[in-house]
Amino acid sequence: MTKKLVTIRRKALAASEERADKLRGRFADSGTLVFNLISSPGSGKTTLLETTIGRMAEVCKMAVIEGDVATERDADRIRAMGVPAHQVLTSGACHLDARQIETALETTDLLPADVLFIENVGNLICPTTYDLGEDFKIALLSVTEGDDKPIKYPAIFSRADITVITKSDLLPYVPFDLDTVTGHISSLNPSGVILVVSSTTGEGIDLWCDLIASRLEAKRRS
Amino acid sequence: MGHLKPLWLRFRYTISMHEMGIAIEIYRTCREVVREHGQGRLQSVRIAVGELAAVEPDLLKFGWEAVIVDGPDEGAELEIDFCRADQRCPSCGEAKERSEGSWFRICPDCGAPLEVRGGDELDVLEVTFETDED
Repeated sequence: MTKKLVTIRRKALAASEERADKLRGRFADSGTLVFNLISSPGSGKTTLLETTIGRMAEVCKMAVIEGDVATERDADRIRAMGVPAHQVLTSGACHLDARQIETALETTDLLPADVLFIENVGNLICPTTYDLGEDFKIALLSVTEGDDKPIKYPAIFSRADITVITKSDLLPYVPFDLDTVTGHISSLNPSGVILVVSSTTGEGIDLWCDLIASRLEAKRRS
Repeated sequence: MGHLKPLWLRFRYTISMHEMGIAIEIYRTCREVVREHGQGRLQSVRIAVGELAAVEPDLLKFGWEAVIVDGPDEGAELEIDFCRADQRCPSCGEAKERSEGSWFRICPDCGAPLEVRGGDELDVLEVTFETDED
């Protein structure tokens, strides 16, 4: 019996990253801009998508992949607005991975689309590690969650290209210091964009839609 | 090797922390490396985990134990090198240590954005296995 030592440097998630790269190629071929939405459960991801669809359905073709532990509720809400949606049910798993995105594209006619939103499983931790072939990670934080969340769960806020602070209409009713939070997020991620929105009053929604449109334009030019 | 195939199914309903999925991928990588260099029983694997990788070393070890238990590589060791991020302030021209528990990328002295290198490692570095072959 001999002992062999093999020295390598291989990414532990190489297989998963390879899948994500293939997806990125596929999205490049179809000219689809892809956002990976990550937040706590209940921060308003699906509601923001509904609002976005309401505003942008006439200017671009959208599609949605929903990740949840159980039920088709979110995909049903999107389909009710006339946008194709695929529901991934994770049966307890805490994040989506590239394999599930591949399956979603095989089972549901989502492409071609101008914009694909992937709404990850509600969780501020695990989805951060997994590349789904997206162009941008978007973090959502609702004002009712409390203003210490970015410093308590820093990984997603340091990696997200855009952070959307949601439910701004509730600011007068909750102890959420907007300046402190935007300061924390900028310190975690000096190059990130921060938006403050309310799907209820429409505050910030124009800026959000403009941002999507400009990123789509940039992707088409590249 | 019959142990490998059902892994995904085996843990499909119990992966409620991402360290479990990462442990499975590390095991797959180890098996791949052994296959590329012969055959044998896995003895140990050394990996690098960066402090900004959002991976908890203890949970990863716990996941690893669950992956190898009752299989041909039961008892194989997972050794973790925990890697610090290298933070530098371009304005002060100095390395700045990260204060415990904080992910801020702003220089504590002058407020400029820090340049961060490394700290996001999640790499398999060394695989050791026992073999009958020369």
